Amino acid sequence: MADLKYASMEEIKALEGKKREESMEIDQHMINLYTDCIGDPNPMWKGIVPPGLITTAMISGGAMTLGIPLPHKRSVAAGADWDFYKPLKAGDTLHTTHEFFELQDKSSEKGPRALMVYKSTHKNQNGEVVAVSTNTIMSY
Amino acid sequence: MAQLFFDEVKEGMDLPGMEKTPTTKTLVQWAGASGDYFELHYDKDFAQSMGFPGPIVHGRLEAAYLTQLLTDWIGEKGQLKKMSVQYRGNAFPGNKLTLGGKVTKKYTEDGQNLVECQIWVKNHEDKEITPGSAIVSLPSK
Repeated sequence: MADLKYASMEEIKALEGKKREESMEIDQHMINLYTDCIGDPNPMWKGIVPPGLITTAMISGGAMTLGIPLPHKRSVAAGADWDFYKPLKAGDTLHTTHEFFELQDKSSEKGPRALMVYKSTHKNQNGEVVAVSTNTIMSY
Repeated sequence: MAQLFFDEVKEGMDLPGMEKTPTTKTLVQWAGASGDYFELHYDKDFAQSMGFPGPIVHGRLEAAYLTQLLTDWIGEKGQLKKMSVQYRGNAFPGNKLTLGGKVTKKYTEDGQNLVECQIWVKNHEDKEITPGSAIVSLPSK
């Protein structure tokens, strides 16, 4: 059973702005695992990083790495946005800053509901922003 | 893979569709390839404790399929600039997913030929479970 942490809305609200940085080299093996899984034989992905790899949890999944507790029992991914600014090549190193951006209380007469918004800014080894991703988790 | 050109795109045209049937094995592969080890996607007891009948397909896997739909369509010289998705329903391992899209707008801005599209993933019951939008850039002939 997963060790999920829970906290009050106030306690979670106080964590807005919490950040975590991580870096990883994107190598061809990672690309191959990704393209094999989704069934994408496009020959472009020999040397070029498919933009879909930026959407994966290991790169855009700040929700899992910041350790922000959940306000309610059930939680699912509600949506995500990605802006892609520059292509990445195999061998590039990605430096990502994850931020717990905000907690929105969406509770109603139907019950408790909250949106947890995370933003991740991805830079390459030259300090250029290559992508920005926003992920929203719904807890209810 | 054929190259798509801006001149060939018309507002209202459909993107070439795609079908995917992620299995339990696919979800295990995805966990490893993407780094998403949330138990909701492989642990039946955990999924049921969260109110689901069983493990569900990762929303991000559906998003990854949508990026493939777009990159297959725009070809080597096209670029995916932006994509948004909303996760509104769940799919379960073995369900056939149907991906599609439609061009909603084409325009030139700051020297770039841009095309906006609606995109979606439908489940095996033809319900739109992951709708979204995207902007791509395309070369001129």
